[in-house]
Amino acid sequence: MRQHRKTALLFLAPFLTVFVAFYLAPVCYAIYLSLFIRRRVGIGPAKEVFGGLANYFRAVQDADFLNGLKNMFMFGVVQVPIMLGLAVALALLLDQSRGLFMKVCRTVFFMPYGIPTAIGALIWGYLYSPNLSPFNQILSALHRGTIDFLSPALVLFSIANIVTWTWTGYNMITLFAALQNIPKELYEAARVDGATQWDIVRSIKIPLLMPTLKLLFIFSVIGTSQLFTEAFVLRPLGYVADNITPNLYLYLTAARDANYSYAGALAVLLALLIFVISGPFLRRIGSQ
Amino acid sequence: MALKQPPSQTGPGDATVPAGPPGNVIAPAPPPAPREYAGVSPAPGVLRNIVLTAFLLYCLLPATWIIVAMTKDNGQLFSTFGLWFASPPHFLENLAGLVTYQNGIFVRWFGNSLVYALSISLGSTLICAMGGYAFSKYDFPAKGFLFNFILGTIMVPSTALVLPLFLMLNKIGLVNTMWGVILPSLVNPFGLYLMKVFWDSSFPNDLMEAARLEGAGEGQIFWRIGLPLMQTGLVTVALLCFVGAWNNFFLPLIVLSQDSLYPLTLGLNVWNSVSSAAGGKPVYNFIALGSMVSVLPLLIAFIVLGRYWRGGLTAGATKG
Repeated sequence: MRQHRKTALLFLAPFLTVFVAFYLAPVCYAIYLSLFIRRRVGIGPAKEVFGGLANYFRAVQDADFLNGLKNMFMFGVVQVPIMLGLAVALALLLDQSRGLFMKVCRTVFFMPYGIPTAIGALIWGYLYSPNLSPFNQILSALHRGTIDFLSPALVLFSIANIVTWTWTGYNMITLFAALQNIPKELYEAARVDGATQWDIVRSIKIPLLMPTLKLLFIFSVIGTSQLFTEAFVLRPLGYVADNITPNLYLYLTAARDANYSYAGALAVLLALLIFVISGPFLRRIGSQ
Repeated sequence: MALKQPPSQTGPGDATVPAGPPGNVIAPAPPPAPREYAGVSPAPGVLRNIVLTAFLLYCLLPATWIIVAMTKDNGQLFSTFGLWFASPPHFLENLAGLVTYQNGIFVRWFGNSLVYALSISLGSTLICAMGGYAFSKYDFPAKGFLFNFILGTIMVPSTALVLPLFLMLNKIGLVNTMWGVILPSLVNPFGLYLMKVFWDSSFPNDLMEAARLEGAGEGQIFWRIGLPLMQTGLVTVALLCFVGAWNNFFLPLIVLSQDSLYPLTLGLNVWNSVSSAAGGKPVYNFIALGSMVSVLPLLIAFIVLGRYWRGGLTAGATKG
């Protein structure tokens, strides 16, 4: 069996190599970098010097970073429930009957997920853009003025709409699959007991959907915390604040301000936050 | 327990749905055809169809706009109603313009996207198939810990990874090369997980033992006997990798600065930035048509291999 142990290692080697080189090493490097700060010593350009946890202390007081987190929190309590509620409703409706129309719905609802985020966001950007937007063309034809969907007040909602458009169908399909797996005998038994369709939805379907729903919720929250592309793509078209999502702020800190050590600290904090939020959920779901 | 399962063997999502009552096995066969459940409907047919149609239109709205927009020139895009065609149509001019604008760089981007997506999906699938095989068929120290650790990294946000990755790639001279996009994308913890589950279910251990008794080498067993049995798993993972790589935006954005190396997603967004900037030449008509073209390969894959695609996606819920 020792010989097989070596074989196993050979099979594992390619994966482990790229995993260590392009996954673990960058994470460790980010942690290492985050311990340095840029400081001007005497005359001359600023230098990177060891700063301990200084970057982390700065980050937890950084209004821009906190603003991004606040926006993501808003997403978590507003956009995610709306999207998942919609997905549940659609999955229940589609589960009710068969036929071509239902099949078309299922396919089309799911399709936005297959569109590259950068392209989907771009198209929505044009649907929002003051000069191109067909919504505004309709509004001005009706003499109702125009709406700037990309104004600072509305842009977060506009991004939420893109995310909802992209992901509702995906969530719906997963829930629909879970519904299909409920043994039909349960419905028969309930009907024998005099249950109405509503009773079946309320006391059989929804409770049996809960584990899937919890999982989708936590994946949506993780997705929310990583929001970047939509905001980045809309930037040239409107007024997207630099601090609208933590990831955009983090990107600009590194790519525009070239402050890699601070960006590293932000990245580490963000990853930790996601672990803290999703870890207990996943463990609970995993133990079920 | 498993959070996700490949749906081709079992139903997608059923990992999280309690199994049916044990009585299932001996219960009389269910009615042959699925039928509509009669009784008091929570949503009457008409209301249901209105809701579904409304959502259908919402899903199709961007597609409608893009199909209309790709037949217009830049002037018409601004001066005519966005959701209906204008005359004269400019589709052919747009197409000619798209493939020749800036010395035909769009064609180059399309080719780049193909190179990235194909090499990443082939490489990653093979690496994951081998790794998943090791986890499924062999015992080695710290196996369980290693597997859970690799899976846990799915939660690390991509930004946390890509920025330090850029600095590392910069040191080893891979920034602004195709390898800088391809090599990091080969890492696919979720693909490894899927592969392990597929190996568990598609390649019985007895078969492996039998092959060993026949004197087959370990490598032979993997390549000659195992892989041919894994068609569903291989196609599913390869497809997921292809779609993920085709859609990738963040990594190329960070790693590439030379526009001849861009994939489509990045190239079209650069055109958008230039078009929207003061003094930039607006090429929204090209962007619209280009967006449509960039989605086509995915649409084709979706139609031809939809079974695998939907299966693989519902099996896991993290975004690539």
